[in-house]
Amino acid sequence: MRYLYVGGTPELDRQALQEIRACVAGEFGARVREMELPGVEFAFDAERGQYGSIPVLDWLNRLCPQDALKLLAVTERDLFIPVLTFVFGQAQLGGRAGVVSLARLRQEFYGLPRNDAVLVRRAHKEAMHETGHLFGLVHCADRRCVMSLATSVRQIDAKEAVFCAPCKARLRAQTQEFVT
Amino acid sequence: MRAHWQILVVDDEEVMCESLAAWLREDGYGVDTASSGVEALEKAQKKDYAIYFIDLKMPGMDGIETMMQIRRLQPEASIIIITAYATVDTAITAMKEGAQEYIVKPCNPEEISLLVNRIIKVKNLLRENTILRKKLTRQYKVHDVITKNPRMQEVLRLCEEVASLRSTVLIQGESGTGKELIARALRNAGDRASKPFIAVSCAALAETLLESELFGYEKGAFTGAAQQRRGKFEAADGGTIFLDEIGDISPKLQVDLLRVLQDRSFCRVGGSEEVKVDVRVVAATHVNLQQAVAEGKFREDLYYRLNVIQIRIPPLRERREDIPLLADHFLERLSHELGKDIAGISEGAIKILMDYNWPGNVRELENAIERAMVTCHGPKLAEEDFSFLLEVTAPGQPWNVPPCMSMNEMERILIMATLQRQRGNIKESAAILGIDRSTLYEKIKKYNIPR
Repeated sequence: MRYLYVGGTPELDRQALQEIRACVAGEFGARVREMELPGVEFAFDAERGQYGSIPVLDWLNRLCPQDALKLLAVTERDLFIPVLTFVFGQAQLGGRAGVVSLARLRQEFYGLPRNDAVLVRRAHKEAMHETGHLFGLVHCADRRCVMSLATSVRQIDAKEAVFCAPCKARLRAQTQEFVT
Repeated sequence: MRAHWQILVVDDEEVMCESLAAWLREDGYGVDTASSGVEALEKAQKKDYAIYFIDLKMPGMDGIETMMQIRRLQPEASIIIITAYATVDTAITAMKEGAQEYIVKPCNPEEISLLVNRIIKVKNLLRENTILRKKLTRQYKVHDVITKNPRMQEVLRLCEEVASLRSTVLIQGESGTGKELIARALRNAGDRASKPFIAVSCAALAETLLESELFGYEKGAFTGAAQQRRGKFEAADGGTIFLDEIGDISPKLQVDLLRVLQDRSFCRVGGSEEVKVDVRVVAATHVNLQQAVAEGKFREDLYYRLNVIQIRIPPLRERREDIPLLADHFLERLSHELGKDIAGISEGAIKILMDYNWPGNVRELENAIERAMVTCHGPKLAEEDFSFLLEVTAPGQPWNVPPCMSMNEMERILIMATLQRQRGNIKESAAILGIDRSTLYEKIKKYNIPR
């Protein structure tokens, strides 16, 4: 039996992790497990004041439990890849490890009052999006589909927390063995 | 339409290269990486990339030099120069040498995504425009015929050789082999390329209708002929007339046609005035005219008049090496037409296509690809998308027994084909063949059939 693991780093709000885990379980079937992850401080880049998502993914691959089909990590740390100013998350396309950062999903990041409901909605969509990549899905041209590319929170808010029909069919083909 | 576009990321820093490549792959593009200008050039020689991301500062050959060399190889590629240090001078040099964009890292994800989308959008439009224009004008050229089969290449060579002659051409080939395409290619390669090309399907019309269609009619020639009308032969004057399904015309029309071919003149229906035309006749048929002549269904003299230059298009099953090429071509063209982004065809699916007999030839292959694309949900066309080909084992098709075949040979072929269709499943194959599993094992061993 293999599981889809959702892991949280120490600084992450446990309530947020619970809610994300519930969302993923709802979408991908019951075989979802939660796990505690160490911090990602090793990936800190002092020059940029952010955390490199590439070393984080490499590290997650090594942390993957034996019975893990995929491991999706959730962190509060602000992630980047060298060529971009930031990423909301990253996943190995069709691979085992993915990560979502809540840093830029929070209203506070943009100087607005805290709003947990908004945060959870965004985190839910990003977790589905990165998990979709883990199952080999690429970005979708349908702006409402959760697999559409979002480069701003505005775009995350504009899409829905559902896969469009073609993406759903592709996902089903990929997850058949896992869900049944 | 992303899967068809390839991107090359060139950077000496591996993490930079791989992270940008991974990010672009999430967008659905095929992405390769190169760690130096030299490696980039090697890759550019082997593959056409739509977009190149090139880092400006690299040891050895720098970004600008790499870009200049790549532009020589692929003038249509879009090149984006990436740099960590923005100076006005380097930006100006990059743009002057033909970079489409210049970005400073780290770059906002939105900016890079918009940039790539904008470039791909233009490339998609250009590609679509070429496809639609070709479809609309049907300006097929000889090199548009996709083949690596020696017999087909011989056909194409012959087309080019005879393109500028006025001699009548007879194209023979089964239904769906592309007779009209060859006829159009023939016309476009010759000195009549800018003159009219009139195609008439002789099987589509009744005898009298076809007669007035081909030769036109005079006012009052028959009820409803309120005024004089010119026929297809007159419309094609100076150019080419393509008479498809010539084997299906009536004995009377055969006589009329014979006269046109002999004298290049005819009378309109109901008229007595002789009309002279300069028309090159290209005829096509799926029936064996020689056999039709022997059976007395087709006039021998007309056959010889038509058969001045003969082009025989082999059926698809006799040029199986073209199946993957054609399948890829249809996939790409239909991706644009159907607006579906499918990256390719799996090896298993290609095997099904290669094994199928294609009684409807290239047209059937095109339809099969379209059907598979409509129902396909995966990133590639897979075996299950072509399951309909396995179900239809050509009902009602007469099966020709090859000459000099032994019972053993026959049994071997039957077992091989069944095993192949059942993907090596012994239980299912034995059930279909109506024998025991143990008997099937024995026979597999006896005939040394690989599994």
